[in-house]
Amino acid sequence: MFPLLYCEFLKLKRSKMFLISVLGAMVAPIMVFAGLIKAKISEPDKIITYLDMLEQTNLYVLLLFGVIVYGVIAAFLFSREYTENTLKLVLTVPVSKGAFLITKLLMLFLWMMILTAVAWVSTLVLSIVGNAAEFNVNVIIQSLEEYFLGSFLLYFSMSPFVFLTLWHKNLVSPIIAAATVVLGNVALANQDLAVLFPWTSPYLIASGDIAKYHYSIETALVIIFAVSVIGFFASFIYFKKQDVK
Amino acid sequence: MQYVIKTNKLTKQFGEQIAVDCVNIHVPQGKIYGLLGRNGAGKTTTIRMLLNLVTPTRGKILLFEKEHRKKSKEIYHRIGSMIELPGFYENLTGSENLQIFARLRGQHKKDSVQNALKIVGLDQETKKTFGNYSLGMKQRLGIAAAIMHEPELLILDEPTNGLDPVGIQQVRKYLEMLCLEKGITILISSHILSEIEQLADIIGVMHQGRLIEEVAMQELHQRNRQYVEFEVSDENKACLLLEEKFGFKDYSVHENGSIRLYSNLEMRAKLNGCFVENGISVSKINIREEKLEDYFSKLIGGGELVPSTLL
Repeated sequence: MFPLLYCEFLKLKRSKMFLISVLGAMVAPIMVFAGLIKAKISEPDKIITYLDMLEQTNLYVLLLFGVIVYGVIAAFLFSREYTENTLKLVLTVPVSKGAFLITKLLMLFLWMMILTAVAWVSTLVLSIVGNAAEFNVNVIIQSLEEYFLGSFLLYFSMSPFVFLTLWHKNLVSPIIAAATVVLGNVALANQDLAVLFPWTSPYLIASGDIAKYHYSIETALVIIFAVSVIGFFASFIYFKKQDVK
Repeated sequence: MQYVIKTNKLTKQFGEQIAVDCVNIHVPQGKIYGLLGRNGAGKTTTIRMLLNLVTPTRGKILLFEKEHRKKSKEIYHRIGSMIELPGFYENLTGSENLQIFARLRGQHKKDSVQNALKIVGLDQETKKTFGNYSLGMKQRLGIAAAIMHEPELLILDEPTNGLDPVGIQQVRKYLEMLCLEKGITILISSHILSEIEQLADIIGVMHQGRLIEEVAMQELHQRNRQYVEFEVSDENKACLLLEEKFGFKDYSVHENGSIRLYSNLEMRAKLNGCFVENGISVSKINIREEKLEDYFSKLIGGGELVPSTLL
């Protein structure tokens, strides 16, 4: 599995996609930073803390921008093998379809974690630049936990995007699906049903906000797990049965 | 005889359409097998089934005398392949692309990538990424990827598409060398007759999903007969004379008053005299050999194969 994963990294050499995704991960921190600057100008007395900065960024990443960026990455990882016509060569090496799929999913996980780290570090740096208040080691550690737990859970909700990509073999459908999910996240904000929506609940669980809702953490976790398993098995079965043209 | 590839009633159906219909291919070890057919004849689908990219609807595939799905990893390590236009990662150079496939394959010599690039003449292209390659360069890189691990069996689907005449000749010579010196078995598909004719030991002709002929090249050349061709002013009268006066029935009539006589070729001067005496003017007499392209054209019911390239 390691050579396959290593090759996935080699495939990204000179790829603009990695740079674009890093820039995408920095959008939320920059937006929050812009909010901080605006607040400092319009309300000079208002105190904006590191906690505010880190929490707001995580909210934007997990509920809005992250879903689209991670969805596009999932789609890119799989669709490029179709659009660049490389799948037939990889499979005749031979690499088994199962190993191929698992490697791509592992790569997606690592990529998401890298972008989470980029978002976290960017927020921290911009908080320092923006002279945010109340620096606290506990806040930093807690935010780190929240960022990575949220992304970890969101990763499990990405398998339907993988299936869509394998099915349609392009980027368009997964992007439309990701945009729809983001709209769903917005529509369900502050509603009980948000806990049952597997792309909203990762943030609620990571931030601890789920305690404010009627449904339990277990319910949310079961739904995330079910979506993940359904998406993965659908992808696996479809990919395994499908002829490579 | 030991067959590296053997199929038994290999069939692929896409919905209602039968793309490959009960194909029995026999590729002997150490030979070059040319799979010939028009576009859409079923060559690529057959090759994809051989490479385990497409699941057969029915039938059996034996590679190296083993069922292709059993121990597939072991079997496919012994095969190099290229299917139609090869695909590589566009942001990487040729060498970087081959490094990836060498790593995926796991077993390769240190200099295998460089050697393969040298063979196809891409060893100097160190900076250019695949996305900026010309069609011919892409095709060469595909061939390099197929040969870099020194396979025992090469399966190439239209490998010279997009190559210039010199490139085609180089590839042909290289494939001949691989077969003769290293004993590599090659299955090559093409719709270009001359390409297959110059290279193959055995030819399989596919038409509308069926393998309609599988014959050794040597035998094929023996089958192709010489004939004498007369171009006459009145072919009906000439045919009458051939049959009634000389008793010849082994002839055929073609366009523009052309008559082909397949036997008694030494009688052509006498026949010419007879035609003239009977008021038939003869504008041309030629001794010719029926070309392979005519043979295949007849075989596939008048369809067109591309007869030749600038070889």
